[in-house]
Amino acid sequence: MSFATFQTVSLGNIRLHLCPSDKFKTTTLSAFITNPLQAETVTKNALLPNVLVRGTNTYQTTVALRQKLNELYGAGSFGDVFKRGERQVIQFGMDLANETYLQNAPSLLEEGIQLFCEIILDPFVENNQFYTSFVEAEKKNLKQKIDSLQDDKIRYAAERCVQTMCEGEPYSLFNYGNANDIQAIDAKSLYSYYREVLEKAPIDLYCVGDVEVEEVTNLFAKYFDSKMQNAVREEVPFAAVSHKVDKVKMVVDRLDVNQGKLNMGCRTQISIRDEKYPALMMYNGILGGFAHSKLFMNVREKESLAYYCSSGIESHKGLLFIQSGIEEQNLDRAVDIIKQQLTAMRNGEISDQELEQTKATLSNQLREGQDRAFELIGFHFQSVLSGKPRSLEDLLQKINAITKEDVQEVAQLVELDTIYSLRGQEGEKQ
Amino acid sequence: MKKIDHSQLKETLYYEQLPNGLEIYLLPKPGFQKTYATFTTKYGSIDNTFQREGEQKHQVPDGIAHFLEHKMFEQESGEDVFQQFARQGAAANAFTSFTRTAYLFSCTENTNENLVTLLDFVQAPYFTDQNVEKEKGIIGQEIKMYDDNPDWRSYFGLIEAFYQNHPVKIDIAGTVESISKITKETLYDCYHTFYHPSNMLLFIVGGIEAEKTLQLIRDNQSTKKFDPPAKINRFYPDESNAVAEPKKIMKLSVQTPKCLMGYKEKSSEVSRIGTERLKQELTTQICLDVMFSTSSDFYQSLYDDGIIDDTFGFDYSLEPGYGFTMFGGDTHQPEELIKRIQEEIPRRVSTGVTQEEFDRIQKKRIGASLRSLNSLEWIANQFTSYRFQETDLFDIIPTLEKLTLEDVNQRLKTHFQADQFAVSLVMPK
Repeated sequence: MSFATFQTVSLGNIRLHLCPSDKFKTTTLSAFITNPLQAETVTKNALLPNVLVRGTNTYQTTVALRQKLNELYGAGSFGDVFKRGERQVIQFGMDLANETYLQNAPSLLEEGIQLFCEIILDPFVENNQFYTSFVEAEKKNLKQKIDSLQDDKIRYAAERCVQTMCEGEPYSLFNYGNANDIQAIDAKSLYSYYREVLEKAPIDLYCVGDVEVEEVTNLFAKYFDSKMQNAVREEVPFAAVSHKVDKVKMVVDRLDVNQGKLNMGCRTQISIRDEKYPALMMYNGILGGFAHSKLFMNVREKESLAYYCSSGIESHKGLLFIQSGIEEQNLDRAVDIIKQQLTAMRNGEISDQELEQTKATLSNQLREGQDRAFELIGFHFQSVLSGKPRSLEDLLQKINAITKEDVQEVAQLVELDTIYSLRGQEGEKQ
Repeated sequence: MKKIDHSQLKETLYYEQLPNGLEIYLLPKPGFQKTYATFTTKYGSIDNTFQREGEQKHQVPDGIAHFLEHKMFEQESGEDVFQQFARQGAAANAFTSFTRTAYLFSCTENTNENLVTLLDFVQAPYFTDQNVEKEKGIIGQEIKMYDDNPDWRSYFGLIEAFYQNHPVKIDIAGTVESISKITKETLYDCYHTFYHPSNMLLFIVGGIEAEKTLQLIRDNQSTKKFDPPAKINRFYPDESNAVAEPKKIMKLSVQTPKCLMGYKEKSSEVSRIGTERLKQELTTQICLDVMFSTSSDFYQSLYDDGIIDDTFGFDYSLEPGYGFTMFGGDTHQPEELIKRIQEEIPRRVSTGVTQEEFDRIQKKRIGASLRSLNSLEWIANQFTSYRFQETDLFDIIPTLEKLTLEDVNQRLKTHFQADQFAVSLVMPK
């Protein structure tokens, strides 16, 4: 079966990526605005999408905007922010029902695209600044979101591991920013920052669904302000990934928890742009990406130490993270077992079965992404961001050709950098 | 094989019940890479007292349905069945809810092999004293993980506040203490009762050809021997209408308090099946949407006053024997939130929903249901859950289209009654 392909059209200096497909019952729109990840702007970038989805020039209250979305048959609409390597990307999404499947419904595409563009480009503005009460409410909401990170122990431990491991590097910044920066942001400063971003940052637009390329192109050309299309945009550089580890950092945090958390961070020296990237994906799969992987088999199945123990890669910064929830008294034993697995990988102790299983499950995972519109878009955008577009066919072929030696070669580059653990309060018996 | 056309949705469903009682549903999805299959038994955490007709009555330890789910992956060969799925390029998993246990896989190649693996491993239990003991450590860590999750704790806190006796109030995984009593014998008792094909449903959706796939299943099942189907009697304690505790407070290690509230269904409201059940569910969801979604004035005033944040959400659960609405989220002013809710709801019940509000939310829910049909996982799991309550998933959109304002206002009056209200509060230590 052939894979979905995107066609990229230029709207001036904005890229529009289109994928006509009749398998979805909705039409999915996305916009990505790429910014450098840096301390001065990280919190503003996190706040921006939340303010923009509050109201537009036409729909000046949130209730009016959300009611309009409901009238468009519950068009799903969101704004959020995520980080990839040392870039922070603002994302907007919308999902429109395809009227073919409804009774007596009008075409929703044009109104949907118009509203989508309006949310991004034409916010409710008073006296050359954002509407103050939107900004103030969103500041409170963001503060609470940042403060509540500690309530989700799994995410908190993962974030603390990144923070300590990448201390001094932009990647250590939390995606939702810094609570201490929030107070100083106001409707005026945020609005002028917004104008700056809109006119300088690279913008990628997406549309997936049962649509005609020409129609969607014309609609975006019509509704995505032509001034925006002509603005000069500068690509944000890719972070350097090479990083030698002198000494493994050991970090212990203490909170009132029933179960300890163990997070180990490694430098892989390999990014998505690298020739060795498919071998790194295989390395991660054999180590801890699946239920047949070494970490799951050894930490959970053989030793009954944990319910979960897995690994994952950050492909734009060249990092690999291992995470597990472990009874505190067993933490040291778990670290030993995990280190043994890293050593085994370096020594090339990889069975034919592990190699074949991982090729099969990894390829399956990549193919499955084709059946979800937002994943299809995410995979393509990842490739755009890398600056080295790679098709799914090509990636699957490369994975299929990986040998044990290729994986071992990657294993020898991977260096353990940080061992982070979250433990209960000292002196307390759980 | 029966063919059921849903022409408006451009979906064709195929159905067959095998001589051994197994119900099979197939939904081919042209253009999809993936196939997703669930093999589900109508057996969940609430089924802790039961009797297979003609046999003795069993009362089993809390958490056993979930424990059994974990142990099904063990095989006589000594190999975990995950290994075989991995060789065949599938992602396999399982889950246990209050009323169901489902085994599932998704794959983009070797669909036939994976299907046979799914049927064979679920129909060949292999429990030993040793492999049962080993699992206690793993599940013990799973329980502790949830103990540290304040959202889970506040969710269960509210169910405990609603229910005095019904086993829905017991955590699906049980406790470290209750699972310590599980033995291979008790697991076989449960398996023998609930994993008979006549108590199970197989749903396959994605890149399949209906007739060929069905033949493969028929062939697989015809080679296996099963006892004749027997009726299963399930025993649940009496549950009165009253909530167990109007306000339950827990102290946990959190920065932001969590406040979850809702209404418990009276016993007269938890026994509908078929379209009537669906109508009850859809009208309740519309009531919640009108009052609490981001398009409501009430939500926006709470948000702008800093009483709630964007974690605020709402949900409705309805199963035979129990049902409840839930709404809430993180808040630094839980008492103020409760007060505002307790003012708003009676006001709403007396004024009712307007035609304009109804029209908008009806459209919103039709669109949302259509969006859900993009997800193979949602279709398989939701179809099965509905089928066990004699409700048809593909009736959702036609039923939504037929609902009226009167239906919704009637439901508003029936469900949101002050006596049925309870709160679960998680506060910082």
